[in-house]
Amino acid sequence: MARYLIRRLIHSAFLIWGVATLVFFAIRLVPGDPVVQMLGPEYTPEAADAMRQKLGLDESIGSQYVKWMGDLLRGDMGSSIATNETVVDAIRTGLPKTLSLSLVAFIIGVGIALPTGILAALKRNTWIDYLASLIAFIGVSMPGFWLGILLIIVFSVNLGWFPALGYAELRDDGFRAWIERLILPGIAIGTAYAAILMRFVRAGLLETMSSDYIRTARAKGVAEPGVIARHAMRNALIPVVTVMGIQLALLLSGTVAVEMVFSIRGIGRILIGAIFDRDYPMVQGIVLLIAVIFVLANLAVDILYTAIDPRIRYA
Amino acid sequence: MESRHPIDWSVLSGPYVSRRTLMKLAMGTGAAAFAASLQASPKASAASALQEPVTGGTLRLGFLNSQIVTLDPGLLAQGVVAGSILPSLHSSLVQFDTDLGIIPDLAEDWTVSEDGLSYSFTLREGITFHNGDAITSADFQYTFDRTTNPDFASPHANKLASVTDFQTPDERTVTLTLSDPFAPFLAVACTRGPGRALTPVSARAIEEMGDEQFGMTPVGSGPFMIVPETYDVGQGFDMVAFDGWYGGRPYLDTIEVRLVPEPSSAVSGLEAGDLDAIDPVPATSFEQLNSNSDLVVLQQPSTMWRGVVMNYARPPWDNPVARMAVSKAIDRQAFVDTAFFGLATPGIGAIAPAFGWAYVDPATVENPQGYNLDEAKALAEEAGIVGVQPVIISSEEIGQRPTEVLRTALTEIGLDPQVDFQQAATFNERWQSGDFDLFLHGSVVDADPDDGHWNIFHSTGPWNTYGYNSADADALLEATRATSDQAERARLFQELQVVLQTDVAAAFVYHVFDLFAHHADVQGVVGIPEQRYYEKVWLDR
Repeated sequence: MARYLIRRLIHSAFLIWGVATLVFFAIRLVPGDPVVQMLGPEYTPEAADAMRQKLGLDESIGSQYVKWMGDLLRGDMGSSIATNETVVDAIRTGLPKTLSLSLVAFIIGVGIALPTGILAALKRNTWIDYLASLIAFIGVSMPGFWLGILLIIVFSVNLGWFPALGYAELRDDGFRAWIERLILPGIAIGTAYAAILMRFVRAGLLETMSSDYIRTARAKGVAEPGVIARHAMRNALIPVVTVMGIQLALLLSGTVAVEMVFSIRGIGRILIGAIFDRDYPMVQGIVLLIAVIFVLANLAVDILYTAIDPRIRYA
Repeated sequence: MESRHPIDWSVLSGPYVSRRTLMKLAMGTGAAAFAASLQASPKASAASALQEPVTGGTLRLGFLNSQIVTLDPGLLAQGVVAGSILPSLHSSLVQFDTDLGIIPDLAEDWTVSEDGLSYSFTLREGITFHNGDAITSADFQYTFDRTTNPDFASPHANKLASVTDFQTPDERTVTLTLSDPFAPFLAVACTRGPGRALTPVSARAIEEMGDEQFGMTPVGSGPFMIVPETYDVGQGFDMVAFDGWYGGRPYLDTIEVRLVPEPSSAVSGLEAGDLDAIDPVPATSFEQLNSNSDLVVLQQPSTMWRGVVMNYARPPWDNPVARMAVSKAIDRQAFVDTAFFGLATPGIGAIAPAFGWAYVDPATVENPQGYNLDEAKALAEEAGIVGVQPVIISSEEIGQRPTEVLRTALTEIGLDPQVDFQQAATFNERWQSGDFDLFLHGSVVDADPDDGHWNIFHSTGPWNTYGYNSADADALLEATRATSDQAERARLFQELQVVLQTDVAAAFVYHVFDLFAHHADVQGVVGIPEQRYYEKVWLDR
């Protein structure tokens, strides 16, 4: 297991380096000049030259790359061209918001997906199953930002149950303030996630329910809830966990648009702003962070398998 | 274009360069249209003068922007932040009144010499920075040196480039000398908000915290102070009343500035009561907010203009007949109705309606490039542009609606325009490098009409990337800078407007309104075009 982990981590390091390099050059291929963007209406060629020099953007791309890689190895991700804040600071303030939002969306997603998936499987080919499938279909098709706007209009503007925008710190403002600002965006993101998961829960459970050991369990007199909970679910969950991990991408990409709608400055919103501003160090830093999250999430999923299915061992 | 008669520059002297003065001058010089336009100057909002203002409370302000990069006046390039947020944190030498006339701020009086080259400001007594340090002329010397230091790379250094001498003869006197008369100097370099070049900053605070930190937690001299620990580049910050402001403590205790990048979210936030005011209001939401009895939408003329510029380097757009065909194809009234739901004024030039002292009411003059579809079609035939496929570049800042309305208008004369809608960064690079056939050019937030004219129409203007080059226009532009008498400047801008119309330097199309919305219990909102002063705002709760 330890050797396997080390091997995976080394692979991961190369993967992340590849992503970093790709992003470094790709963002510079996109037309648009960060200095022009930053100066805005104050643009004059002289002011642009002065700023370019100040930011080190007058150097060749090669030397910029070498400098960035060197800094990166020392743990320095650089500073934003647009806002001057260090990339590390931006991540430090943005990541907790995105993770909080993702966590709430994840809980909402799983909270919806498991019961409806199980119900749909048990009531296979009844109106309940069809209704669940229809809702799942709508859930997948609905863009998160659109659902978010809808939720704001209904639950904030009309009913006044939840704040329409913003984020509260868990530590400073308390749990209530924190959660009530995350529920609507959490639903906006979690719905699509739930819809996908629910299909897998249903399919996985249907497959295991028809297998021999379930028939055996029933034959030896285990009550139906026990059959489902102890015997069927564990096996049915393996593909679900895989999908949960892979679909973390969906959660994270969902936060990007939804953070815009709910005016939460998580890493998604920072990334969007940085791309619009051609803020090279910020784009590089955040894409790198997202790459790390993905690699680690996939690793975690692989390890989780061993907990769910003792037959799976890594060497 | 040298001045026709001797000009007395000292009319720009303080303590009040106002509508009244300008009106008198206008009457004297017989500029009737100009005087008439001053009558229609912006009004303060419906704040009730009957009630006694109440001190206290927090204003939650939704500011439609994704980030405020810096609050250091010397470095801030975001024009909307300079107009909307900076005036609360930083006082400067002078400030605007509701007609964009100039009135005292930290300087209680000032004089301008008759030749327009020497300015002398007398500072108020007992003015201090937020940290309690007294403000003296030495602080202005420090600010001047800082802004003009090449290593500091201030985007506003160019506004001080013509200053040849800067002196502080005593603690309360600041004098400076220009190499050439520069009429917009007070507005662009000295006003609270836009006049960032000479907005005083605390030397001690900068030495203590460094330039970078100062941008986040500036120590200024405005009616509100930043709460340092609240600053977040993308979320906003809190500002609290500054007891030591020379004008007295503002009524509000706190202003929470919340950055809301998504316009529909800001509108929802205002309706749901999470925000007390939003700045600015997206035109698409105007009706919805205006029909809500809990809300007040303040509608003012703006300092911006937009019009179609055509690239002289790309035939057939070097042909004035082709350009005139385009201009005459655009029905301005229909344009503003369709593209902006009527929340804009049809434009005939680059003089924005907020500059009441120079603005020309379109109804009072003949516009040689105005809408006439039959003539436009004939001109298009004559210029041989039927079937041509010009590339129109555009971006979110211009908006999809105006771009689409323009495209449709041009199809009426047989053009087949190709719209290239880009992200801001790409769009800016393309127009600056001249990579377009035509686009809706213009100015954004200006302190003086100089910004929106010189940059775009002077042959050396930094935003003139489409190749307009007219000796007449250059001479008139130079004359507007060399003349301090605003009535004379108004006349020159108006003369220039006719030249620009005839040359079709741009096919002038519109000026959008400046819109600001707040809850009905927010009182004392002062209507100054594209400037927000919050010290007299109070909450009726």
